[in-house]
Amino acid sequence: MTDTTFNGATPDDNGKVSPGSAWRWLLRHPPVVTFSLIVLVCLVVGTINTDFWQVSNLFDILRASVVRGLFALGVLVVLASGGIDVSFTAIAAFVMYTVTMLVTNLLPGLPMPVILLVAAAGGACFGALNGLLVHTLRAPSLIVTIGTQYVIRSFLLTFVGTALFMNIPSSMEAFGKLALFTHQGANGSISVLPAFVLVLAVAAVVTWWILERTLIGRAVYAVGGNPGIAERLGYNLRTVHIFVFAYAGLLAGIAGIMHVASNRLANPFDLAGTELEIIAAVVLGGARITGGSGSVIGTLLGVVLITLVSNVLILVGIPSTWQLAIIGVFIVLAGTVFSLRARG
Amino acid sequence: MQLKHEAGAPPQGGEIATATIPYLEIRNIQKSFGGVRALKGVSLSIEPGQIYHLMGENGCGKSTLIKIISGAQPADGGELLIDGKPVGHLTPVAALAAGIETVYQDFSLLPNLSVAENVGLTQQLVAASGKLARRLDLTQMRQTAERALAAVNLPTSRAFLSTRTDELPMATRQLIAIARAIASDARLVIMDEPTTALTKHEVDNLIGIVTRLRAKGVAVLFVTHKLDECKEIGGRAVIMRDGQKVAECDIADHTKAELGFWMTGKVLDEARYRSAPKFGDDLLSVDALSLKGAFANVSFSMRRGEIVGITGLLDSGRNELARAIAGVVPADAGRIRLDGKDVTPRKPADAIDAGIGYVPEDRLSEGLFLEKPIEENIVVPVLDRLRGAFGILDGRRSRELAKRSVADLQVVTPDVANPVQSLSGGNQQRVLIGRWLTINPKLLVLHGPTVGVDVGSKDTIYRIIQRLADEGMGVIIISDDLLELLQNCDRIMVMRKGEVVETFEAETLKEEALYRALVEETTARTPQ
Repeated sequence: MTDTTFNGATPDDNGKVSPGSAWRWLLRHPPVVTFSLIVLVCLVVGTINTDFWQVSNLFDILRASVVRGLFALGVLVVLASGGIDVSFTAIAAFVMYTVTMLVTNLLPGLPMPVILLVAAAGGACFGALNGLLVHTLRAPSLIVTIGTQYVIRSFLLTFVGTALFMNIPSSMEAFGKLALFTHQGANGSISVLPAFVLVLAVAAVVTWWILERTLIGRAVYAVGGNPGIAERLGYNLRTVHIFVFAYAGLLAGIAGIMHVASNRLANPFDLAGTELEIIAAVVLGGARITGGSGSVIGTLLGVVLITLVSNVLILVGIPSTWQLAIIGVFIVLAGTVFSLRARG
Repeated sequence: MQLKHEAGAPPQGGEIATATIPYLEIRNIQKSFGGVRALKGVSLSIEPGQIYHLMGENGCGKSTLIKIISGAQPADGGELLIDGKPVGHLTPVAALAAGIETVYQDFSLLPNLSVAENVGLTQQLVAASGKLARRLDLTQMRQTAERALAAVNLPTSRAFLSTRTDELPMATRQLIAIARAIASDARLVIMDEPTTALTKHEVDNLIGIVTRLRAKGVAVLFVTHKLDECKEIGGRAVIMRDGQKVAECDIADHTKAELGFWMTGKVLDEARYRSAPKFGDDLLSVDALSLKGAFANVSFSMRRGEIVGITGLLDSGRNELARAIAGVVPADAGRIRLDGKDVTPRKPADAIDAGIGYVPEDRLSEGLFLEKPIEENIVVPVLDRLRGAFGILDGRRSRELAKRSVADLQVVTPDVANPVQSLSGGNQQRVLIGRWLTINPKLLVLHGPTVGVDVGSKDTIYRIIQRLADEGMGVIIISDDLLELLQNCDRIMVMRKGEVVETFEAETLKEEALYRALVEETTARTPQ
């Protein structure tokens, strides 16, 4: 994490820390801004309604962050390479519904790891197709993925099915119920932290490792910084384009299965329309929409911030219709701060 | 610039004793873009430890040749041999693996990556033969970067290694680009116009680096058009014109005039265009104009009919000053008065309304609508004056205005309905000047008026500038072509680090004195 491992304020030319340098340090470390917003929301909500400080609340937020988080990590990788992907929800919906249907009808005893593997592979195939189209057509990835989103969604609803699966395969149901941690509240209520939050944790570590510790990870940022220069220096644009979209597709496939496991229901109409929220979370975490930046830690914080706002405002009596407005204000705020960084 | 032809055949290469196999041999390389033949069969041998200067005017094919050698573009025909073995088409990674390193004119640094990554990643990419599914060796990357940075006298502290390159000054970026080139075992280092952004002190540093490379048997190929520097560095001159190699010789054996003649095919006359200027009333007064991070406290005034030149290095603030006068990137303090009225522009339209015409430096991205007809490009600032009945554009008057302008500025075109991109660079520049003349400006700001323009067109453009000044227009020329300023201006202001440090009367000024003022070292600019 180039953006976050550098500790302390940057010394100016004289080696001293000037008053302005704390501000500059903040601008170079956007996750700090995101983290401050999270703390702010927690303090405000927690002061007004002390019910906020409950373990069950924390568990709810973590549970609700899993699918968003998986999506967001994929979006981060695509954004870092200078592209954008809006087809991941359609890929997730297609994979979750098709896999659930196949397993239920044909292979009811299939174990969970195999299901995850199949979903990841299916998602990666769709993603690779996105990457191939973006590369060979030299078309803006926003346009390409709007196109593939519509095609995939329409194909799912026309040829695969529209009926809900209420009875999901037993292995998926068991996985969704698996508890990592159980907590008994003071009033005797029991809250559970599901084990599938570990999937997000593993995905985050793997994504961080790929981005920061492998050549392809650095190539992703290089292409996002300036594709022309990256190509001249010998980075293979085709590999990078296919990789980032395939990786986003892979995570979307896994996210789809997580969605089914946690809701115990496979609905082909689910997830549609949440693309912008996910992209907003990644941008709130400090990734620039124009590419070449962003970190895993920032992305996770952005996801937590968005989930927090969607989950807890109800505790302080703010109607849920206001959530969007608050998220909107945060996005504009973060966008302003981060664009100050660009202006120096 | 009177154009005469001179007798005397240019020397051809091959005088070097070639006992050894050359490191790189280029045989009859050809390349076309569309119908244009950029390289018409160029051959060249690169010997280890030699210094070469690839010289020629813009558009002579030298950039294309570099791109083919560095693997950025494939040739259409011909052969490349490394150590005597044919290598086919080079890819960027194959060229790097063979030891061909290029320092591009734009430095080609990845702006969002750290110094260590910019210097050290290439080596790992080459070690992986361009395959990306490899683990990064962070330790090796850091050590490589430290070694290479030390070799170009840059700091190797952790803080510097982790700095993003877009936060560093130009001269430092240049050194980082050189450090990257020598980080792995380079056998040929190509430097594309490496001294454009450097001060005298930094050029000396560069020459020191080149000398050390040479001692290790590394060949260095400079791409340049600065004759003075070539003479100073020494080595072999390879001169290209019109897609062909026209001469190859030891640079010490020939005069600047001879080299210049082979480059241009013309004898350059350095006589002044400016004669008997007639100044009118006060026209412009710029008062303590400042823009944070670019320039500070710039004050000067000029009269009608006066031509003022502004020059300085790339980061001297001259470009920003020009844009501020035109309102493109407004100043944040100070005042601009035209005819005594405060007209400090906040946006380009303010400057146009006040009577300031601005011909930008990069006519392709900032100026012209390339696919649009010449006519539309010329009349665009005065569209509302050409309104006919019901507010519809009066096509006849628009056509007449464009035709008058084209005739006036001697733009060579059969029809003003042709797109601007059908014209040569010099003619495009004249269209752009013609556009701003339609608003009858009181002040014309020309930013690099002859960048990428051939010698013949330069002559025409200079004559136009002189005529405009004689008619009472004030003209500001911002340029790094010192001869251009000396030939055309009444006064020349030199900027360094955002300030106007000296103002010269151009008539008696020598080019050497102007150059010294331009590059004079004030403080060391490499970070500590």
